[in-house]
Amino acid sequence: MKLRPRNVRSRLTLWYVLVLAGLLALYAGVASLFLFLSLREDFDRNLLQDIETVEGMLEKEPNGLVSLHASHPDTGEPRIGHFIEIWSPQGLLLYRSPALQGQALGAPPAPDEGSDDSTPSTVRLRNGARVRLASSVYSIEDQPVILRVAYSEEGLWRELGEFAGVLLLGFPIAVLLAGLGGYALARKTLSPIDSMANQAKQISAARLDERLSVENPEDELGKLGTVFNDMLGRLQSAFDQLRRFTADASHELRTPLTAMRSVGEVALQDQRSPAQYRDVIGSMLEEVDRLTRLSESLLSLSRADAGHVHLGKEDISLLQLAKEAVSSVEVLAEEKRQRIHIEGDETLFVSADRLILRQAIVNLVDNAIKYSPMESLIVVRVEQTGGQRAFLEVVDHGCGIPREHQPYVFDRFYRVDKARSRESGGTGLGLSITKWSVEAHGGAVTLKSEDENGSAFRITLPVIEHPRPRGPERGPQ
Amino acid sequence: MRILVVEDETKVARALREGLEREKYEVVVAPTGEEGFFLVNEEEFDLVILDLMLPGRDGLQVLATLRKRGLQTPVLILTARDAVEDRVQGLDKGADDYLVKPFAFPELLARVRALLRRGRTEQLLQLKFSDLELDVTGRKARRRGQPLELTAREFELLEYLLRHKEQIVSREMLARYVWKETARATPLDNVMDVHINRLRRKVDEPFDRKLIHTVRGVGFVLREEL
Repeated sequence: MKLRPRNVRSRLTLWYVLVLAGLLALYAGVASLFLFLSLREDFDRNLLQDIETVEGMLEKEPNGLVSLHASHPDTGEPRIGHFIEIWSPQGLLLYRSPALQGQALGAPPAPDEGSDDSTPSTVRLRNGARVRLASSVYSIEDQPVILRVAYSEEGLWRELGEFAGVLLLGFPIAVLLAGLGGYALARKTLSPIDSMANQAKQISAARLDERLSVENPEDELGKLGTVFNDMLGRLQSAFDQLRRFTADASHELRTPLTAMRSVGEVALQDQRSPAQYRDVIGSMLEEVDRLTRLSESLLSLSRADAGHVHLGKEDISLLQLAKEAVSSVEVLAEEKRQRIHIEGDETLFVSADRLILRQAIVNLVDNAIKYSPMESLIVVRVEQTGGQRAFLEVVDHGCGIPREHQPYVFDRFYRVDKARSRESGGTGLGLSITKWSVEAHGGAVTLKSEDENGSAFRITLPVIEHPRPRGPERGPQ
Repeated sequence: MRILVVEDETKVARALREGLEREKYEVVVAPTGEEGFFLVNEEEFDLVILDLMLPGRDGLQVLATLRKRGLQTPVLILTARDAVEDRVQGLDKGADDYLVKPFAFPELLARVRALLRRGRTEQLLQLKFSDLELDVTGRKARRRGQPLELTAREFELLEYLLRHKEQIVSREMLARYVWKETARATPLDNVMDVHINRLRRKVDEPFDRKLIHTVRGVGFVLREEL
């Protein structure tokens, strides 16, 4: 089973403690090693000094053995606990100190042992004690002997053990303190998250204007809070838009329904001629027609929202498409004796669904015609702009769109002049359909309008560099 | 000509019955899929108008069983606009045509006529109504012997009205068959009005008897009186 602390705080603390324990252990290990090495260095230095001392104490016995002249005038007693062996180069034991109690100091020496300045080595006695052994070759009255001097390492290990003991004793205390500190620190660091979570819980759809309090917008949590607040802002504007849409939509639905109802009710109040009845029914059918178109537009927008619209893309010259769009509504301009001037680069191609993008352009041109005075000029322009993009601009010389309405003109059912545009038969969805279509093609549509100086709607789309336009034989039927 | 209408919505069913009977068709209405299924098996019909959203037996099921039994009666299905899948399935299962609800009655009539006429298509190239004459191949129009100067679009519009003379033509029909648009958007309505007005000015204004009439709320019609 995998044990996993539930919250970030404990997880942070656990990690902190684990890392700290690891580091401490490493530190203790390295420190002990260094202590050990330095202790042994001292030990070895003493050993080598002692070898020289012992060399001066050697005496040759008449029977060929060697004895230790223990009370050397210079050094006095040799240190307790050191062991001595003396061998002849032929491998004959000449002397062994009684402290060894007959145990050998390791294996018998090789013939060349002690001839070079070899460093001391550690050997184990038969009783398991570790001793540090140094050897040298010495001549007593021209007879070479191999001198071995050893100290028990017991002291060295004891000292090391004490050191490690102190470290080990401190270890859990240090880790415990670090853990507590870490936990407190994590708790303090993360406490804004708790308060953010509590605040976020209080925010509901009805109270989207509330924001999280951000103490320091520069630190990580502050950034998180800011990001969260930005998201709330977007949510709020989406909700506002939806609310506006619902209100407007119900208004749009109610208007034709009210008209139908009152027309029908009034007509039934008196006897009327067939022609009058026909007129009443016709008037009601007009409203039905409006409702039908409204529901169809709404449906296509909701299908678009749900991403159910398939774009049959082909490479199209934007100017060509603009010309098509203009030609389909230009009779409307003719009626108002307006002039539509199309200009621009014919070689700018975009990848688009011809019908959908054309409808988007038609809506813009139709709007321009509708809101421009008689005999005015409308300009449709296609040009390249930076970053592999092209724009199509529809510029009119109408009354313009007041600044306060500009942010909303692409909203569904938003009308600048409520009474007038409904009269002209629009559904109030034209621009939002245009916006959707253009965005579905990876573009953007923007409005630039100076008060009373006409307005310019601009569609910006990515350009295709190496277009493969469809041949005329494969054009739409 | 006998037409079976399988439709559960009483008001719609009644309107269909009255509208079709006015056109001299004999109409039988089945309010459920079961009943429609039963009637189709028992009696002979020249056409079935089938609502796809039915209680009891699903409209598509009725259609599928019908075709499995080898009945070749033409079937016109009625579907809701948001049920594209239904429409496709319906055509797959052997429907001959479809109409999206809410539909304009003149359009339904046009579809019914087309389905009943199937097999014996007559594409007349010389059209005549009252004192109006149209030479489709030569693209020439005359009224009372006088040539009319029509643009290409005006000619197509007049031709369509003439081919459906004395029948009401809806804006949807004009959008689809004259302007070749799949959807009828608002600007197109205004464009249509402009063209109809211009056509009137050329075809009707110089003459006493008006031929092009607006049926308020429905569409246009080419007829001699009223």
